[in-house]
Amino acid sequence: MRIYEDLRTVQRRVGVVQALVALAVAGLLVYFWHLQVIRGKYFRDLAENNRIRALPIPAPRGPLFDRKGRILAENRSSFNVVVTSERKDSLGGALERLSRLISFDPKEVRERLNTQGPRFRTVVVKADASDEDVATIEARRMEEPEASVDVVPLRSYPLGIGLAHSLGYVGEVSEKQLEAAGFEKLEPGTVVGQGGVELQYNKELMGRDGLRRIVVNSRGVEVTEAERKPPLDGPPATLTIDLDLQAAVVEAMAGKAGSVVALDPQTGEILAYFSTPAFDPNSFSSGIKASEWADLLKDPEKPLLNRPIQGGYAPGSTFKIVNALAALQEHVITPQTKFHCPGYLSVYNTIFRCHKETGHGTVDMTQAIALSCNVYFYNVGIRLEIERLSRYAHMMGFAQLTGVDLPHELPGLFQDPEWKMRTQQARWFPAETVSVAIGQAMSVTPIQLLRAAAVVANGGKLVTPHLMKAVGGHPVDYPAPKELGFRPEVIAAVRDAMISVVSEGTGIRAKLEGVQVAGKTGSAQVVTHARLETNKHAREYQPHGWFVCFAPAENPKVAMVVMVEHGTGGGISAAPVAGQILSRYFGVRAIGPGMTPPPDNPPVEPSPQPLRAQAAPLSPTLAQARPN
Amino acid sequence: MAIDRRLLFNIDWGFLGAALILMGIGVATILSATFAGRNTGLEVKQLYAIALGLVGMLVVVSLDYRRLVDRAPVLYLAAVGVLVYVLAFGPRIAGTRRWFMGPGGFQVQPSEFAKLVAALLVAKLFAEAKKETLGLFDLLVPGAAVGLMVVLIAAEPDLGTAFTLVPLFLTVAFLAGLRVRAILGVVLVMMVVGSLGWMFALKEYQKSRIYTFLDPNLDPRGAGYQKIQSEIAVGSGGVAGKGYKQGTQSQLGYLPARHTDFIFSVLAEENGFVGVVAVLGLYMFILWRAFETAQMARDRVGAFLAAGIAAILSFQVIYNVAMVAGLVPVKGLPLPLMSYGGSSVLSSLFAVGLILNVRMRRFAN
Repeated sequence: MRIYEDLRTVQRRVGVVQALVALAVAGLLVYFWHLQVIRGKYFRDLAENNRIRALPIPAPRGPLFDRKGRILAENRSSFNVVVTSERKDSLGGALERLSRLISFDPKEVRERLNTQGPRFRTVVVKADASDEDVATIEARRMEEPEASVDVVPLRSYPLGIGLAHSLGYVGEVSEKQLEAAGFEKLEPGTVVGQGGVELQYNKELMGRDGLRRIVVNSRGVEVTEAERKPPLDGPPATLTIDLDLQAAVVEAMAGKAGSVVALDPQTGEILAYFSTPAFDPNSFSSGIKASEWADLLKDPEKPLLNRPIQGGYAPGSTFKIVNALAALQEHVITPQTKFHCPGYLSVYNTIFRCHKETGHGTVDMTQAIALSCNVYFYNVGIRLEIERLSRYAHMMGFAQLTGVDLPHELPGLFQDPEWKMRTQQARWFPAETVSVAIGQAMSVTPIQLLRAAAVVANGGKLVTPHLMKAVGGHPVDYPAPKELGFRPEVIAAVRDAMISVVSEGTGIRAKLEGVQVAGKTGSAQVVTHARLETNKHAREYQPHGWFVCFAPAENPKVAMVVMVEHGTGGGISAAPVAGQILSRYFGVRAIGPGMTPPPDNPPVEPSPQPLRAQAAPLSPTLAQARPN
Repeated sequence: MAIDRRLLFNIDWGFLGAALILMGIGVATILSATFAGRNTGLEVKQLYAIALGLVGMLVVVSLDYRRLVDRAPVLYLAAVGVLVYVLAFGPRIAGTRRWFMGPGGFQVQPSEFAKLVAALLVAKLFAEAKKETLGLFDLLVPGAAVGLMVVLIAAEPDLGTAFTLVPLFLTVAFLAGLRVRAILGVVLVMMVVGSLGWMFALKEYQKSRIYTFLDPNLDPRGAGYQKIQSEIAVGSGGVAGKGYKQGTQSQLGYLPARHTDFIFSVLAEENGFVGVVAVLGLYMFILWRAFETAQMARDRVGAFLAAGIAAILSFQVIYNVAMVAGLVPVKGLPLPLMSYGGSSVLSSLFAVGLILNVRMRRFAN
C-alpha cells in the first residue's frame, strides 16, 4: 500500500533548476567561443611568449693595449651560477639546498628573485664560481634543474691596482645610469664601464650582445634552443700608456700616497698615470662584495679618489713657473732682474717670510727659481698685480678642466678679485696677491700642473692630456695643442732656471747621469705653521711634496708630475721619486740622492688668512665609483 | 543484495555511458598532462580508482535509495565524526587538513563523501516536512545540519567543497516548496552578511586576493599566476587545439594542478573549442538526465536526492569550468569524473550510482 505524493510542484521546480543549469553551461560555451575562437590568436602569442625566452649573449668588451701593443685589460671566461624561477616561491627549498653546496646567502637571492619585474627571473647566485662549484652544480642538473652555469666574459686587469684609476673598472649598469645619456637602451644587468677609460669609452668598447632564443619550461629550464645570434666583440683599443714607464711609476710610489702622471709634452699623450692608494679593479668585475666596497669608502686614505684629476692641492712653489713666465712675457722683469732676500718681505703691514730665515741674499730669477726664493717672487707678483697673475694662470689651464679623456675631472680653483667678489662679496686686498705669487690661494690638480709644466717643455703650447690613442684602428681626435704666444726667450729663460733647479737647486735629487732634467719643487702646506710646530712629526701635518719636470731638457720626451701626499718638501719627497722613474725610463743612473740638497721651501705662512682649505684635497666626486 | 532483474532494464545506460566516456577522456587527459613529468603512471592509478568506484557504484545501485536515506542520520554522524577527526588529527598537507590516512598510507578525502551524505540527509529532512510550502523557519534544522558540515569542511580549509553544499541545500529547499519570498530573503541575508564581512571580517591580504582575481596582473608571479596561465592555455587552444600531448602550456609545466583541478584547461588547450563543445556537451547531457531523474522520481525523497546530487554535480562542473576560463576565483574544486584523484572518482561514481538508483526505481513496485 503506497501513498502517491503530489509531485507536480517539485517537478516544475526541478525544471526551473534544470533550465538554469543548462543556461549556465550554454553561457560557458559562449565564453569559450570568445576565448578560443575570437581571442585565440592573442592567447597563442601569450603562450609563445611564455615558452620562448630571449637571452643575451654578453659580448666581450674590447681589449685594451698599451702604446706598444701590450695587454692592459682583457676578458677571461668565467662561470656564473644562476638560478631561474618563473613564480614566487616556485624554487621551494632549492636555494637553501644550493647554498649548502656552494656557499651564498639564500635570503639575499630570494629578495632579488621576488622584486617586481619581468615574470622570468634569472639571478646570479655566485659570480665567478670556482671549478668545484661548477662541477657540483653540473652534477646536480637533474635534482636542481633551476640552477645552471652561465659562461660570461669577465674583465681582467693584469696590472691590478697599477692602472685602476686610468682604466677604471666594469660593473652592472646601475638604475640611475639607465636613465643617463649613452646607457638608455641597455638591459638591466648589462656590464658597463664604471670608471676611467672603461666608462669614458664605454660605448665604443662594448660591442654588441648576441641573442639566444630558447624554449623553456615553467621552471625556467631550457628545453631546446630555437635561435642563436652570435655576439659582436668590442673593438680593441690602444692607449697612450707606456707599460714600462707605468711599471717604473708604480714601483717608485710603493708605500706612498699621491699621484704621478707623465705625458709626451708635444702631443699630450699620457705615458703613465698612477693614483695611490688604489683599488683592485678586478674585484669589481664579478660584482664587488658590499663589505669590500664599504671598506673602500671608509678608508681615510681615499683609494677611490682619482688624485691626478680630482685631488686639489695648493701648487706652492711650483707656481713660480707661471709667475716667472708671466713676468718675463709682460716685461715686468728680465732673467737678470735681481731682488734682495733678507728672509722676509714686509709689505702691506704684513711680514711675508721666506723659507730660509737668514735669507737668500741678492738673487736673480734663475737663482730664485733654483733655490725657490719666496721673497723674489713676492716682489715679482706685486709688480705683476693680481689681474695679470690670474690671466696667465687661467691661460695655462688653471681653474678649468684639462679635457683629459677621463670621467669626473675636477677644475680646482684660483682666487682672484673676480672670484672673491663672486663667492664672498668682498674686495681683494693687495696683500692677498703676495700669497698668490708663491702658489697659495689656489687649488690645482696634478694633471693641471703637469700641463702647465709641459708648456715650458714644448716651447709654449697648451696640450690636451689624453689616454686613448685609437679604438678599433680609428685614431681618436683631440684638440690640437694651443699656441699660447710666449716669446722663445721667455720659455728658454724659465727652462734654464728649471734646469738649474735639478742641477744645483732644490730638485737635485732628480738628477740623472747623462740626461738633463728640468724641474721645479714645491710643497703644499696642509696646516698652519703654528699648528705644525705643535707636532712636527705627525704625518698628517706634513706638507704635500710636488715635483714637476721634463727630460731631456733640450728635447723633452717626457714631462711628469709627482705629488707625494704628506711627503714634506717636494725636493725631499717627490724629486727622488721622479729621479728613480726617469732613470728607469732613460736607462741611466740617478746621481742626485748622494748629496744633501738645500732645504726645500718648508711651509710659509704668508697670507693674512690661512689657506688650509685649499691645501686639502677637494672632496671627490665618487658617483662613478658605485658598485652595482 | 539481490537486485530485482526488472530493475536492470530500467538502468539509464545512456547516462552511465556518458559518465564512462567522460572518465575515459579524463584518463587520457591525465596521461597527456603527466607523462612528461616527474609523477608518471597516474592514469593507471586513476583506472584502479575507477574500477574500485564502479564496484562501489554497483553496491550503491543495489540498495534501495529509500533505505539509504533512512540511514542518513547515522551516516551524517559518522561523516561529522570523521571530519572532526581529520581536523584534529589529520596530517597537514600543503597547509590543509583534508586527508584521512587509511591503513597502508591510503589517503581519503572525507569531504568528498560528506557532500553525498549531506545530500541524503537534506533529502530526508525536507521530505519529512510534508508541507506544501516552506517558510524560513522550516530551514532551521536542515540548515544547521548542513551548516555544521560547511564549517567543518571550510575549516580544513577546503572552501570549494564547503561551498558545494550551499547550492545543494538551496536547490532541495526550493524543490521542497520554499516560498519565493523566503528565497529572496535568504539571498538578501547572504548579501548583507557578505558585504559586512567584506567591510569588517576580511583581512587586507584576503581582500588583496580578491583584487588580484579582478586584476591578476597585479601579482603575475604570485596569486594571479594560475588564473593567467589557465586562461592562456584555454585561449591558445583555438578552434582545433594544439593536438594531444602537444599543449605547450601543459607540457612545459606552466599550468599548475593540471591533472587535478585544471584538467579541463589541458583539454581545452590540446583539443580546442571542438573538444570543449564535446566534453561540455557530455556534461550537459549528464546533468540534464540527472535533473530529469528528479522529475521522474516516484516520491519526494527520490526527487530531492536526485536533484540534490544533480545540484552538487552542476555546481562543481560549472564552477570548475568557469575557474579554468578565468571567470571565477581559483578554488580547489575538482572536475567530477575527469579530475585525477581517488576520492573524487569514488565520490563521482557514487553520485552516478545514486542517480541511477533513483531512476531505476521510479516505478512503483
